[in-house]
Amino acid sequence: MRKWLWLLPVFLSGALLLNLAGTAWANGGPHGGYTPTTDACAGCHRAHTAQGPNLLTATSTYELCMSCHGAAGTGADTNVADGKFVAARSPSTEGEANTADNGDLLGGGFVNYKTAAVTSIHNSDGTLMAAWGFGVARGQTANLPSSLTCASCHDPHGSPNYRILREQIAGNAVTVDQVDEGPANKDYDDEHWPDNVSNVCVACHGAYHVTRPNSAEDNSDNGSGNADYGGDISTYAHRVGMNYAYGGNADPEATGYGGYFLPLTASKNVACQTCHLPHGTSASMSTLATAPFTNDSALLRLDNRGVCEVCHQK
Amino acid sequence: MTPTPWTDDTPHPLVPEETTPPPVADAAEPEGLPPAEAGLAPLPSQAEVKSEDEARQRRRLWAVLLALLLALCGVGFLFSRYVRRPEPLPEMLPVPVEVNYPPHFLFAFYDVNGPLGIALSPSEDRLYVTEGEGDRLVKIFDTEGNLLRAFAPPRTTAAERAPVYVAVDARGRVYVTDRLQHAIFVYDAEGNYLDTILGPDLTLSEYIAKHTGFKPRPGTFAYDWFEEEVHYQDPQGRRRTLPRPDRPTWAPLGVAFDAQGRLLVTDVALGAHRVLVFSPQVAAQDDWSDFQPEVWSFGEFGEAEDQLQFPNMVVVDALGRFVVSDGNNGRLSVWDAQGVWQMLVGTGGGGGGLNLPRGLALDARQRLHVVDAVGQVVRVYDFSEAQPEFLFAFGTAGTLSGQFHYPNDIAIASDGRLYITDRANDRVQVWSY
Ligand code: HEC
Ligand code: HEC
Ligand code: HEC
Ligand code: HEC
Ligand code: HEC
Ligand code: HEC
Repeated sequence: MRKWLWLLPVFLSGALLLNLAGTAWANGGPHGGYTPTTDACAGCHRAHTAQGPNLLTATSTYELCMSCHGAAGTGADTNVADGKFVAARSPSTEGEANTADNGDLLGGGFVNYKTAAVTSIHNSDGTLMAAWGFGVARGQTANLPSSLTCASCHDPHGSPNYRILREQIAGNAVTVDQVDEGPANKDYDDEHWPDNVSNVCVACHGAYHVTRPNSAEDNSDNGSGNADYGGDISTYAHRVGMNYAYGGNADPEATGYGGYFLPLTASKNVACQTCHLPHGTSASMSTLATAPFTNDSALLRLDNRGVCEVCHQK
Repeated sequence: MTPTPWTDDTPHPLVPEETTPPPVADAAEPEGLPPAEAGLAPLPSQAEVKSEDEARQRRRLWAVLLALLLALCGVGFLFSRYVRRPEPLPEMLPVPVEVNYPPHFLFAFYDVNGPLGIALSPSEDRLYVTEGEGDRLVKIFDTEGNLLRAFAPPRTTAAERAPVYVAVDARGRVYVTDRLQHAIFVYDAEGNYLDTILGPDLTLSEYIAKHTGFKPRPGTFAYDWFEEEVHYQDPQGRRRTLPRPDRPTWAPLGVAFDAQGRLLVTDVALGAHRVLVFSPQVAAQDDWSDFQPEVWSFGEFGEAEDQLQFPNMVVVDALGRFVVSDGNNGRLSVWDAQGVWQMLVGTGGGGGGLNLPRGLALDARQRLHVVDAVGQVVRVYDFSEAQPEFLFAFGTAGTLSGQFHYPNDIAIASDGRLYITDRANDRVQVWSY
């Protein structure tokens, strides 16, 4: 068995090359679209000192990603530390570019968001293992197969999914369709979401996936933790996948409430990301937060219960 | 009379000539007693010959031992001095020959958070280091790593600034690129804010001067990209504001000065990655309230051999060529003095193959040091000839002394010391030749 282990990297690289040849875009990113002639792997792997199938440079995937996507922006325009798109537009490409300079990234930030320090994040430095509702009831946690890094959600080698989200997350298949994002190909500060954008969250927080009104049923992996949905919204497992216009709700994208807006999917449906940011938020939860988040903003887009008001306008 | 040449059987003492040449008197002796004439002199007795030989040998032995002892003391002295104050070897023992050996690790200092850029002052007694994390300051250290001061762009919070690379002009003024502010901030040697280069042809003081008709004094004006207004004080000291200038269409990343005093900037504005070359005028000006330097550029965005993707740094070698660390293309891109593309260096495998090249520095012998962030090494190339050659690499991946965790930039002092920002290890490493 061991004898054949050396074949693994060869096989994997081959599979990668075959798989990802179609997912290229001309933005300077090293994620996919590999051709046999360019050495795109070298930007992340040290081929020369490879010792095994995991040719990764260092212990920390987070630091690898941040060496391009960090605040310094030394290798990417998406600065996920501050949640900013930092490409000043050049005259030659003005008009084509549809992400505003210093526009706020859709994912939020890991250090700051909207120039304020974050109050909750999906900490991706490899220290977190337990996720809410991963095969257990809402409000409970269970360990993921491996600790949380950037590569838990994204496939650095490219993927047919939106924003190179993995096709397999925590053992669950994930599909998040690519969508037309406008003339410049990528729009990092305006949502152009497919209707299945919640799927990425569901892979780890299955118990929070509630798609039917006033029912115990959902589409989570084992259906274990959701019996309380009927009348109990105390864990805020808000239903998703339905149109926003319930009981005359105002359009949270267009009308908003008090100058606040929330994004919806292509068909104007509610998704997990309507209320939550996947990377991190700087919203404050000073006055309202239920246990276990007494002072934690739970990745919410708006302060306190602001997210509720924008639709229900109560 | 010509002295008879020595023959193989001439009795002569076994003195290692390289270490201690025999005393002059002794050396002359065999000449005074050539074997041919030996018969004419009165023959000394066997015992006398023996004791004389022995005495001579003993004397020589002593001489050798003494010399060895002296040498040992010398080495011991150098060693102890080195231990007390680690100093580059070339400084202590100037080596005339050009040998290429990798440098060695001396020490590291840790008063920095995710350090990115590094530059030396002209007198080489100060280091300027930019931070990518925490408070995101620019810090001044002495060359032993003692923190002297820290500074940041006026009116900004940590979340509003992202200092990246830093360069110092011949007068000691400090230029820091900022990726969130899309500007180059200029400070005096102590870190007092002087001005902001807002674009290739606009500074903040010029903008204010144009709109108000007077030249603002350093320290009385400021602009933060995230604010709608420029703040300044009028000549009477009253606080005033102006609408912000048009948002710049550049994204300065790398910054450096060449030997002629030209300001070199890498620009990574979306879709137009290039190198800007400013005339030496910028560094020659006392202030920049009139900022019309000649600027030309080369390079465009892409992965073809004469294109660039996230060029991080640029230096000019002794042959006048521009050498660009073409980050995301994983190579060095070499351009002639006119900005015509010449060749690529560091592509492909082997020790010289680059992963993610970032900071660059040339030493006096035209050895180009390239910090490879993902390779976790510094790769060194000989740029003294038309065809550059890979020499060696140093450093390994890790967190111990002499190991790197996403290093980013390098500065080289003329005494052979190297200062390397070791970003994810939150420290600056000091190496020496
Ligand atoms: C953007 C950075 C990046 C690039 C470019 C990249 N990789 Fe990876 N690679 C990673 C990371 C991060 C991991 C670890 C994945 C994880 O933690 O799940 C990895 C893991 C791997 C593995 C181990 C198997 C696995 O998926 O865990 C192989 C094999 C591999 N990469 C091959 C390649 C090849 C071949 C290329 C070029 C065609 C390449 N990589 C380009 C970042 C990259
Ligand atoms: C919990 C899953 C998750 C983790 C962990 C995660 N991301 Fe993301 N990321 C997403 C999702 C979902 C999006 C798409 C956001 C959108 O478009 O609405 C995204 C978007 C992005 C983008 C595009 C810009 C943007 O914000 O929209 C980048 C770049 C990115 N992520 C990088 C990273 C890096 C680097 C890390 C690790 C430091 C990381 N991500 C960790 C889920 C994740
Ligand atoms: C060599 C630099 C580099 C490294 C290392 C790197 N990226 Fe990227 N990445 C880019 C660039 C360039 C883009 C294009 C967009 C931009 O300029 O930010 C990009 C785009 C992305 C996107 C957006 C994809 C989309 O569909 O728009 C995600 C998500 C992402 N990277 C995640 C990661 C993660 C996760 C890692 C670490 C495993 C990583 N990147 C490492 C340079 C890098
Ligand atoms: C790869 C697995 C994974 C995915 C995918 C994932 N999460 Fe998480 N999530 C976690 C882990 C692990 C934690 C625990 C973090 C903690 O304790 O703060 C967490 C915590 C949270 C929290 C609580 C944050 C807090 O304040 O502690 C929220 C809210 C959340 N996730 C929402 C989402 C949403 C929305 C998505 C989809 C965009 C998502 N998650 C996708 C793993 C995941
Ligand atoms: C209508 C807004 C909304 C939607 C949609 C929503 N959430 Fe939440 N979510 C919240 C609020 C509010 C909280 C904070 C609860 C608190 O303060 O304790 C929360 C908390 C969480 C937590 C933290 C654990 C907990 O029990 O409090 C997780 C995990 C989570 N949501 C996941 C999801 C996932 C996955 C989806 C999509 C299937 C989703 N949420 C959709 C509003 C929403
Ligand atoms: C994006 C718009 C939107 C936001 C934001 C939103 N809701 Fe809703 N909410 C809806 C829609 C649409 C329904 C109807 C769902 C259904 O048919 O069951 C609903 C249903 C509900 C219900 C169930 C009412 C019933 O009659 O079954 C409660 C309770 C509720 N929301 C509370 C909240 C709270 C609390 C928040 C803030 C955490 C919130 N909502 C945020 C759109 C939203």
